[in-house]
Amino acid sequence: MSTYVMGRTVGLLVCTHCHATVRAIQSSHALCPRCGARVHERRPHSLSATAALVLSAAALYVPANLLPVMHMHTFFSEEDDTIMSGVLSLIQEGSWPLALLVFVASIVVPLLKLVAMGWLLISVARQSPGNAQQKSRLFRLVEFIGRLSMLDVYAIALLVSLVQIRSLATIQVGLGALCFGTVVVLTMLAAQSFDERLLWDSHSDD
Amino acid sequence: MRCRAELYRTNSASIDTAIALAVTAAVLLLLSNAYPLVALQLNGSVRATTLVGAAIGLYNQGYAPVAALVLLTTLLVPLFQISGLLYVLVPLRGGRRAPGQNELFRALTHLRPWAMSEVFMLGALVALVKLSALAEVIPGVSLFSYGALMLALSALTSITPTEQFWRWVDGGGQ
Repeated sequence: MSTYVMGRTVGLLVCTHCHATVRAIQSSHALCPRCGARVHERRPHSLSATAALVLSAAALYVPANLLPVMHMHTFFSEEDDTIMSGVLSLIQEGSWPLALLVFVASIVVPLLKLVAMGWLLISVARQSPGNAQQKSRLFRLVEFIGRLSMLDVYAIALLVSLVQIRSLATIQVGLGALCFGTVVVLTMLAAQSFDERLLWDSHSDD
Repeated sequence: MRCRAELYRTNSASIDTAIALAVTAAVLLLLSNAYPLVALQLNGSVRATTLVGAAIGLYNQGYAPVAALVLLTTLLVPLFQISGLLYVLVPLRGGRRAPGQNELFRALTHLRPWAMSEVFMLGALVALVKLSALAEVIPGVSLFSYGALMLALSALTSITPTEQFWRWVDGGGQ
């Protein structure tokens, strides 16, 4: 016997904002009586909005990794740094724990987010029953770790404003940094616009 | 129950604790912006930067969107969160409702993932290690106060979960 009911089969909705339980009204513009947020059975256009954001992020992920994120000019040398070459130079300096951190935050996490969100979207669109509990857990993980990717953007911001000693060393921002920042923002928006309840709609319990 | 996520968590934290933490965070935020984050010493010339300075550096090189992103996530969103919470909680403590309370609290909940102090600290660490290969790095006052701000902010968000807030509202600030 199942120990829960689906709200929409008994005419109840939950306000996604304040978690109050609300009696479903036929109107599509119901407002939560406690906090005044709009209450939806399922967030409208959640699937297409999320898909659009994920696709744009995926397209930008390529230049974000290929284009240099910064350009360093010193008395002795001149070099372009991509995200990956930044990781490699950290390894060369012997700080491999940090190299690992940057690698995970800037390369693994965004890729994982894109793949995971894509898979979740496809499985909702095809209404594949699958293991909804696992999918739900995956989504929460993606939502939680996504912010970590901003790390590199902050590091670049500090480097750029500190290393401006004329004739000795200067650092310029590269176009890759803009692409990369956009990828992070887009994937965060995608996670926010995804209605997690969709994962459970094709789930059956018996 | 079905998806095994925590449904909600409330705790015994009082509204006074939340207000005290918010005030602490406000002071730390002020400190963090008044003093330089790090200074760089190379061949006798010293260069220091603040949080805002880092954003200005990006802006000056023509990367205004990235500068805005940095400024928003490290400064403006935390500032809005602290002042917004104070604006809502102080009247609530006296059993009154601040005008626009519900809309404001909703906005605060939506903005929560966009305050990234802890990620910024990690980014600063990476930048410092990279720089130490190049020149002498002197950590500034605000690096430490920003670290403390990170702790105060995460304590503040963990004792003011959404569910708790609406209980305070329903209970007239008790």
